[in-house]
Amino acid sequence: MTTKKTKSGVSRRTFISAVGAAGAAGAAATLSGLSAPAVFAQGRRKIRFLNTETSIDSLRALKVAAAEYERVSGTEVVIDSVPLGDAFTKVTTSLRSGSPYDIATLGFVGHVLILAEGGHLVEVNDLTDPYDWGPNILFPINGKNYWYPFDYNLSWIYYRKDLYDDIGLSVPTTWDEFLSNAQKLNTDKRSGSMYPIGSNGATNWMSTAFMWADGVDIFDDNWNIVFDQGDNAKSVVKYLDFFAELYKTMPIGASQASYGEMLSNFASDQIAHSAYAGRLIEAIERNSPDLADKFGIMPYMDSSGKGKAVNHGYDGWVVLNTEASEESMKFMRWFTESQFINFLHTAPLHFQPPRLDIYDDQRWRAHPLIEKYADIIETTQSFLTDPNVRVTSIDTQGPVPDLRPGKVFESFAIPEMLQKKCLQGLSSEDCLQQAGEAMRKAIA
Amino acid sequence: MSSKATFMSFLVIGLLITVVLIAAPVAYAISLSFYSLESFIGSPQWVGLDNYIRILSSSEFWNALKNGMIYSLATIVLQVVIGIGMALLLNQIFVGRNIVRGLSILPYLLPTVVIVLTFKWMVDGSIGVLTAGVEAVGLPPIHWFESPVAAMSSVILVSVWLWTPFVTTSFLAALQTVPASLYEAAKVDGTNAVQRFFHITLPMLRPVLTVIILLRGVWMFNKFDVIWLLTGGGPVQSTEHLAVLSYTTAFAKFDIGTGAAIATISFLILSITVFFYFLLFPLDKE
Repeated sequence: MTTKKTKSGVSRRTFISAVGAAGAAGAAATLSGLSAPAVFAQGRRKIRFLNTETSIDSLRALKVAAAEYERVSGTEVVIDSVPLGDAFTKVTTSLRSGSPYDIATLGFVGHVLILAEGGHLVEVNDLTDPYDWGPNILFPINGKNYWYPFDYNLSWIYYRKDLYDDIGLSVPTTWDEFLSNAQKLNTDKRSGSMYPIGSNGATNWMSTAFMWADGVDIFDDNWNIVFDQGDNAKSVVKYLDFFAELYKTMPIGASQASYGEMLSNFASDQIAHSAYAGRLIEAIERNSPDLADKFGIMPYMDSSGKGKAVNHGYDGWVVLNTEASEESMKFMRWFTESQFINFLHTAPLHFQPPRLDIYDDQRWRAHPLIEKYADIIETTQSFLTDPNVRVTSIDTQGPVPDLRPGKVFESFAIPEMLQKKCLQGLSSEDCLQQAGEAMRKAIA
Repeated sequence: MSSKATFMSFLVIGLLITVVLIAAPVAYAISLSFYSLESFIGSPQWVGLDNYIRILSSSEFWNALKNGMIYSLATIVLQVVIGIGMALLLNQIFVGRNIVRGLSILPYLLPTVVIVLTFKWMVDGSIGVLTAGVEAVGLPPIHWFESPVAAMSSVILVSVWLWTPFVTTSFLAALQTVPASLYEAAKVDGTNAVQRFFHITLPMLRPVLTVIILLRGVWMFNKFDVIWLLTGGGPVQSTEHLAVLSYTTAFAKFDIGTGAAIATISFLILSITVFFYFLLFPLDKE
């Protein structure tokens, strides 16, 4: 084969090889992103945001906010979404892999605690201090706030107001009255009530606040389990007796009921009493508008008519201690000042604001559903301001934020206590004793 | 490239993939079982065999092992018996056979989560179509999940429905390899259908049967999704098996070391079982 020389003395083969190599290198560089303009590459900043609110409206609002923030600041906000139950695993594995999320949504104070104690969170007092907050929601750790809650997620009782009116029932203030109403409304067409008893978060959230209203505590100030001792024991035994009777007014399947079943059964006119947060009203609006003016809400009541309670599920954002934490704080400040209400409006009745100033904000109140259900909003707001209403949950019990209540939550000791009573017919005393043992084992 | 080089390159690639995707994660999981740690970002503390001692002395572990044995044995037996029956039926000549064969594999093609959620809504105590059907014909309501026996039966039922098509398809394929002349000769000798099944079909399908039982056994013992989605291990831990117990211990109860110990014990149980299975039913002699 001959090798012709060009005028410059470079052979044609060498020239073609060089051009080919340059082209290939250029293509490779383009593919690997190395060809990005230097100025753009230096100025480009990115925040990774782990979201757990997976409704289409919430996703859309976050994406719009991310695009708007990139426009005004040049910082790209990448939104990843996972179900709430997967968030902590995702956050911890991202930390382990060396590419952590910069902001994350969490729904469990124990997870906030683990991350904060490991030095993985940035304190957000700068963001939270300017506002008044409702009770038992900021969960400060050594006086510092490590998360920005956006939703109380309170579980309260729903009842069919029209059915109450039809047979002249009054809103119950004791367990006996509530049971009596459920029994009277338990017919062939409709079950009297539905409260989950399965080993799941739904039971911990929706079936326990009767006990909180009666003053039951799981821990004392020294983190001893006192759930099965003294007055607590008396209350829990009474609660179990009450719940076993209430169970008889429920449809088959309460042992498997979770969030979806609770929503659908009340919204499809299958049960007269239920529990949930505001999501149930949104479901009624969407699927059963004829029920929209036929329900009322109330807090969980105690055995004697003195105490009331709601159980909170709470959600919030944390800022992780990453290289982008300063930029993340800037984003959070911008988001919570200029986009917060837009975000809350994506689930207007479900996202119950922990920030008390929101309730007076006309922009928030202007949402059609919030206007329509102003009386409901007033009631749910009163749950935060009425000193007689206790706001608590299994995982937030105890003297300070700690992992131990979370372990009791995840041991499902209370759901199993209910199952033993309702499904296996054990005595209330035995159920309580076994629950106490399970709790102690969980935190051992 | 020489055949030796080809062999070596495939071997190296296979070994690399095995090490990276299987051996390393298994080794990491086993190493975790000797530590105490609440999350993947915590500081692990060496505890030696403490996690194993604690879990082996807990009633939850033995209950989960018992549940896993009941679940896997029941589902394997039912899948194999029904699967063989279905395969024999589908091996007959009838109108629309190809359509029926196609439909019979449908449950296996559907995602588990779809199957489970559909089943849960079908048996919903208020609005389930099966509940309404039972009520319409005047029968008492069925408590699908309200007792330990009912809950275990329900997860077995769904699992059998979901994975029997795999057995059916495998047997159906194997049936095509049985020479028709054997059946014809047996018929000439005056055998009936049952005799032909036990003396020709079953012996001819024994290698397939051995592999299917092994595969289904391993899969069912480790099967997590159906039980997790259907009952979450309840009620009162009556359907909680080792896979569920390992998951909840590691990821919900903030005890990754013990969760890893449960997974390691489960792995050992399966490995030993498979070893003895191959001793009893050696494939190379089939």
